Order: sequence, then C-alpha cells, then structure tokens
Amino acid sequence: MKLFLRSGSLAVALLASVSLAHAFQEAPMLKAEVDAGKLPPVDERLPADPMVVDAVEVGQYGGTWHRAYSGPGDRWGPTKLMEERVLKYVPDAEGNISLVPAYIESYSVNDDSTEFTFTLLDGMKWSDGEPVTTEDVEFWYNDVFLNKALTPTIDPTFSPGGVPMTLEVKDDRTFTIKFAQPYVYFLNILAKDSTGEPSLDRPSFLYPKHYLSQFNDHYANADELAKAAADHGVQRWSDLWGSKGPITSWWQNPELPVITAWKIETPAPANVVTMVRNPYYWAVDQDGNQLPYIDRIEHRLFDAADSFNLMIVQGQIDMQMRYVNTSDFTFYKENADKGGYHVGTSISANVWSFVPNLNTTDEQLNPLFNNADFRHALSVGIDRETINELGFAGLGEPRSVSPVSGSPYFNADWETHWTEYDPDLANELLDKVGLSERDADDYRLLPNGKRLQIVVEAYQDYAAPILEVAADYYKDIGIELLPRIIDRTQWDDNRDNNNFQIQYTPVDRLSVVSADPRNIMGNDSYAQQHYVWYSTEGESGIEPPADDPIRTIWSDWDKASVAGSVEDADAALNDMIGTFVDQGYVIGLVGEEKAPMIVKNDFMNVRNDLIQDDVTRGVGYAQPQQFWIKQGN
Amino acid sequence: MANFLLRRILWAIPTLIVVSFISFIIIQLPPGDYVTAYAAELRNSGEYITAAQENAIRTQLGLNDPILVQYVRWIGNILLHGDFGQSFHWNAPVSDLIWSRLALTLLLSSLSLVFTWIIAIPIGVYSAQRQYSLLDYVFTIFGFLGKGIPDFLLALILMWIGFAWMNIDVGGLISPRFEGAPLSLSKVLNVLNHVWIPIVVLATGGAAGLIRVMRANMLDELGKPYVETAYAQGLSERQVVWGYPVRVALNPFISTVGWALPALFSGDVITAVVLNLPTTGPLMLQALKMQDMYLAGAFILILSVFTVIGTLLSDILLAWSDPRIRYA
Repeated sequence: MKLFLRSGSLAVALLASVSLAHAFQEAPMLKAEVDAGKLPPVDERLPADPMVVDAVEVGQYGGTWHRAYSGPGDRWGPTKLMEERVLKYVPDAEGNISLVPAYIESYSVNDDSTEFTFTLLDGMKWSDGEPVTTEDVEFWYNDVFLNKALTPTIDPTFSPGGVPMTLEVKDDRTFTIKFAQPYVYFLNILAKDSTGEPSLDRPSFLYPKHYLSQFNDHYANADELAKAAADHGVQRWSDLWGSKGPITSWWQNPELPVITAWKIETPAPANVVTMVRNPYYWAVDQDGNQLPYIDRIEHRLFDAADSFNLMIVQGQIDMQMRYVNTSDFTFYKENADKGGYHVGTSISANVWSFVPNLNTTDEQLNPLFNNADFRHALSVGIDRETINELGFAGLGEPRSVSPVSGSPYFNADWETHWTEYDPDLANELLDKVGLSERDADDYRLLPNGKRLQIVVEAYQDYAAPILEVAADYYKDIGIELLPRIIDRTQWDDNRDNNNFQIQYTPVDRLSVVSADPRNIMGNDSYAQQHYVWYSTEGESGIEPPADDPIRTIWSDWDKASVAGSVEDADAALNDMIGTFVDQGYVIGLVGEEKAPMIVKNDFMNVRNDLIQDDVTRGVGYAQPQQFWIKQGN
Repeated sequence: MANFLLRRILWAIPTLIVVSFISFIIIQLPPGDYVTAYAAELRNSGEYITAAQENAIRTQLGLNDPILVQYVRWIGNILLHGDFGQSFHWNAPVSDLIWSRLALTLLLSSLSLVFTWIIAIPIGVYSAQRQYSLLDYVFTIFGFLGKGIPDFLLALILMWIGFAWMNIDVGGLISPRFEGAPLSLSKVLNVLNHVWIPIVVLATGGAAGLIRVMRANMLDELGKPYVETAYAQGLSERQVVWGYPVRVALNPFISTVGWALPALFSGDVITAVVLNLPTTGPLMLQALKMQDMYLAGAFILILSVFTVIGTLLSDILLAWSDPRIRYA
C-alpha cells in the first residue's frame, strides 16, 4: 500500500474510505489524476459492488497496446475490443461458450420467456462520471427506439411477430422488457446485436441522456438541432445519429460518454487512432484491481496486407487477430523470434465454402443447383484434405457447413455430411441427374448441348490457388469450373443483384446459431432472393416452389422464435439446421481453421484456442480488459 | 507570344469542363455505388441494413438524383464555395483529407524528381560521350533493369533487404514510437531513415528511362557540324558539351516537365500502397475502389487541372528555352 507514502490529512481520509468494505486498486495513471484532484478516488468511481471479471492471472497496470487498422471501414476492429452488452459471451473453464451478466447486478426471465427483468449495477457511472440510471434506459426507449426520426423501421429482432418490445421501469436501477409472445433467444440476440442501432458499440438499453438529449428532437428545438447539424457538417439533425453519426459513433466523438473499458482519444481519419482507459469502468479483477490493465490502445493505419505483415514481423504489433492471415502462417512463424512475438491460435467458426446460387437466372444451371443430387456430386467431387494442405497450411479441417465444435448445436454427423472424397459416386450422381453426354474434352454437356461450365468468384487474392485445385478435381468429374478473382464491391454487388453462379466465401455465425440464423435461412447465401421473399412476406424476391425444403427451414425458425421454452426452441432450431445440412445447400470445404493471432511475448492473458465468431464478438470473447503488458520495472 | 499564351489559356477552360464531367461519369460507371460498398462492409461486420434503409441512405447522400444534377451540385460547390464535399467513407470533408496528406506527398515527389534528374542527366551525357565504354554498358544494363522491374516490386525487394539484412524498420515514413511525438532531431533522422526507400524506388524507375532518352538525344547532337566547329574554336570538351548539345537534348525533358506536376500530386499510387506511405495515392485508390464519389472526383479533377496547367507551363518553358519553337 503506497498510501502511507503520502502525508497530511488526504491520506487519512483515503485510508478511511479504503478501510470500508473492500479496498480497490487503480492504475498509476489514474492515481496521479486523483492526487492532482482531477478525479474522485477509485472507490467513488466504481459501483458499490463492481462486476468481477476473472483474469487469467492478475496483471500489472500500464502500457500501450499497438495494433493496426485498415481505414474508416474498419470501425468494428477497434469496437470489438471493448463493446459492452447486458450479457456477454465468455469462455467458461472448459472453453465452452457461456453467457454471463456484464453491467447488471442480476436478471430474471419469467416462465414463458415474455418478460425479462434487469437490475443495473449500483453506483455505476458513465465515462464522464455521471450516474447510469433507468432514466438513460427510458431515454433509449422513448426518445430513440420509438422515435421515428431516428429508428424509421424497428428491426424484427426487437419486434417478434411485429409487435415492438415494451419497457416498464420499476425504480432507478430495475426495468423490465416485455414481449407479446415468448422469445427464448432474446438473451442470445442481446449478446450479439444488443439493442441494435443507432450506436456503434451498442450498450444494451442505454444512452447517456444527459449528453445526447441536446441532439434529440424531443428535448432540443429546431434551431438548436439545425445548429448542431451544421456544426458537425451533416445535412439533418438525425444524421448526427447512427453507427456513422458524428455524435453517437464512439470512435468519432471523444465527448460521447461511454461505459466501455476504453474511450476514443484521437479519432479517425488520423494516421494513428488512439483510445485511452475509462476511469469509471465498472469492473475489477479477482483481487479488486479496477480494469482495464492497459492504459492506451493505438491503431496504426495500413493500406496493403503486405505492409501489415511487415509491421508484425518488425515487432510493431502487440496483439492482433484481425487481418492476420492463415495463409501467411509460416511467414509469421519464421520471424517470431526476431519480432519478439509468438503465434497464438484461435478456432475460427468460419467454414470456407462454395455457395451455389439456387436463384440463378441461368436457365440451364438453375435446375441443377436446385437438385440435391447435383449438389451432392459437387460436394464429394473435391478432396478437402488437399485443399486444406495447399490453401490453409493444414491448419483447418475438412468439414461441412454446420455448427462448429464448442457450439451448443454441434453435431458430429452433420460435420462430415457429404465430405468424403468419392469421384466415382460424383460421376454416378451426375449421370443420374442426366448429364451423361460428354464432349471431346470429356466435359459433360448441358441439356442444351453446351459444355457444363460454372463460374466461381472470390474476392480474396489468396483464394486463387484454392479455386484452381478445385477446378482440377471438377475436371475429373466432367465439370469445367471457371475461377474468377474479382473486386470486393463487385462481388457483393453480384450477390445483391442475383448475378452469380457460385461464390467462394467464408460462411460464419456457426457458433451460437440462435443469435443469428439468417445465413442458414438463405440470406446473403444460397437463396438470397427466396429469403427476400420470406422477409418481405411476398412483396419482392422470388417465391420458392410449394414443396421446397427451404420452406421447412423457415417454418422451423418461425417455430423456434415463438417457442415457450428453450428446449422447444432448440429442438426446432436443430430441425432447421438438420434440413439445411441434409440438403447440402452450401458446400463446405475447410473450416475450424486454427486462425493465427499475433501476441508479443510480454503481452499476457491471451487465451489460446478460443472460438472466433462474429456472434461471440471476435476478439471481444477473449476479454481484452484483462489483457496486460509486462512492465519493465 | 502573348497571343499564343492567351489562346492556350482559353482552350484550357472547355478542356477542364469536359474532363471534369467525363471523370464524374467514369466514377459512376462500375456496378453498384458507395451505398452498395458500405452495405457490404456492414454485412461483413455483422450489421444488416434492409433495402429500404439502403435506399434511404442513397436519398440522403443524393445518389438517387439524376447524374447531371449530381454533377452540377458537385462542381457548383467547388467553384462557388471551394467545397469539395464530404467523403462518405471517411465521414470527413474531402479537402481536409487531401490537405493532411498533401505536404508529405509533395515532399516525396519533388525529392524523387530532383533525384531522378541528378542521376539521369549526367549519366546520359556521359554515356553518349563515351559510347560503348565499359561504364556505358554498366549504365545501360542498369537502365534496362530499372525500366524493366516494376516500381512496386523494387519497393518490396528493398523493404525485404532493409528488414532482413539491415535491421531497420521499414514501411511508412516514421517509426511508430515517433508517431505523434513532438518534432525533434531524432524524429527527423527517423524520417530520413525511412524516406530513402521510396525515393530510391521512384527515382530509379524514372531515371532509367531518362538516361536512355538523354543518351540518344546527345548522340544525335554530338555528331552535328556545329559541335566540330566549337571544338575547332579551341573550346574544352566540357564547355562544348554542356554549352550546346546538352541544352538541345534537354528539349524532351522540358516538354514533359509539366506532367511531373500531376505526378507530384498523386505520387506513385501502387508504390505508396506497398510502402504504406501516408500520401495521397493510397487514399485515391481506396476512394475509387469504394466508389467514394466526391473524394475520387476531387482527386481526378485536381489531377486534370494540374495536367492542363502543367502542359501550359511546358509549352511556355519550351518556347522560352528554344528560339526555334518561338519563331516557328
């Protein structure tokens, strides 16, 4: 206790407050500010009973974490290091995914999952020292969520069955969210998407009313709003809001009060974006040290993957997963000693896949893609082991598109569905489909007499060798695969406009499927136009045939989303995934790759082999607030 | 001369209007627009926006208006208010973005231009004077290599050499520890330590070509009767060579010096991307890829203006340095 080193009455006063229930410690950086009288003491900044985050080991304070970012589009890179939710996914002792409360003291769900009650931590504060109360919750609900100017359409996730959730406030810490029908997956959805727009780091149910009300039309008059918009160079006051709004986007606005472990200090478009610790962060480690351990995070801008790799091997990156590429694994390993880092791994929840377009406008290919036997042939016509060795340095595993190991929905039979390499079976299936005619080069002929050619497009340069290998295998079964590496924007545009045959892409969100099942339902995937038809209730898109299995997928989800108990919901969800896997809609190749991450040798508490998925919030799952850097003292 | 100048300047105006309009259209030609790219970016990070929301953003950004309306609005703001608009992608005024990177870009480009000339002219002259000597062959080999190796590849090789054998940190223009630090001698030294790679890369590529041009022009001139006359007058070799043939041989340089102006502004885009330089080049490339219209449009417009002005300057310089052109 360095407290005794100080003299005078201040030390006595401090001692008195520390000797109360517990003694919390704080970072030297903040202590200096307390001593200078700029900050209240740590016990006044923390909640009465702070949330305890179990650190892998108790760490030291201080240091700057250097990482890299790729430009303004990379808002989520910095965000995922620190976003907060009422409940967050964290790894339990066995490495399985578990859901734990964050800035709430407690929560409860009624029997039929229609009411969810939360109690905020007692004495929790915004990063500017103002208390966090249910007033902030009411502000979020009445003035943002229900405010047509800011939320023109309420996301279906928050209005299951078309009825928006309602809020009931009990006192200044406790509130209840109610739904018109059972909603068992609400907590999972909160952990992933939280309460959605318009904020970037999306603290569930909370907006800092004391700050944001000056930019809200329920509080400010038209002139004030017009002035605020003009000051920030936007056209309308509502443009101040949203994930890119200069007011509500944490990474553009240093004045925005936050509840995250760090807050922005130098915003983009700086060459180096910096974040600094939040003195009011509401969590401590097992020994009562206020988190985070690390003082600052610096993100350095890079343009090309090569320059980022160079930063790594020169030891300029302390810890990073994002943009660290499996295909460069050897390069990272070779230079680890020189750069003073080691290569850790996380388990990617992606499966690199061929996504055939069941809605393709090509009249010859459309019936083929919609034929399960044809998809079966495509799937068993490729030797995934070779793809894994050549394209992924052997770090992945051959598998189908299905929930990954560690997911509550994992199923070993699904994982190997149609993944064996069997060219004889593939040929047999293709003959059965009616493609037995061949041309002089031994390629199969389509019913119209033309050669069976399929264009596969990818946007990653490093996909080229993988596609070439696949093309070789398909040549053996009489299919000409034409690889195309195209620009990312074009690739996305093709998918949106139903203008592709097969796309090569990593399929994600395969850990906690309940939090985001849209991929499996066809969205942004094998049947985008069918999904549009489903989600617009028939207004636009393409209607699937009456007996199409995709309808079973949707009805299973409809069942799951209104089930009264988790068991019923999971049963329906498993049926849904089962149909998707049995139909082999998407042809998984290699997944669960051990994705490399760069960790400097003095950068501590980074667990190896954690699941990495968007649902579990990427690197956020590793709890960056308990990372620490060895201090040379 | 005055008449010639006036005509040139008057012609520049319609040229610029046409160029700005065409460039605006070209930016819009690829399928999709900024909102498509933005929505895709959101999707990759697990955010979804509906088609209705996408359309709302389009309306908000004015992307749904007819292209002519968009063009007039854009060019009007530039001419009347000096306002180049907002970059959608960076969410910041275009002029701020460009200005913040312009100083470094100009520094780098002018250094490499000067460097190019310092290398190329003497070597070109020497190679012509001592044609087929050992050194001429050495320079010729170097010249063809320099011309043949793409800049970005050379940049990668130099970076690799710097990293693997010389143990200096490469990439960027400054080590991370000096980023944001106050100006100091060690900071300046650190920048110099980084800046040599881009300069060498940019200068060798340019110099190689110029050496060949200079050599060829000199060989043409050295055989002419007036050179012999000058020698007969008893002038030294240096006086003869640098006094007359070099001046004539410089003509092609002078007529292309104007194009150095836009090059100064944009720098070598690919090299800058590879070297991770905080210059305007990478910004432009990204703007084009993302269809960040106003940022890309501003770049293309500025480049066109510079090209037109540069050509004008070249014409004036050439007229000034070579009487044959003036009185032609």
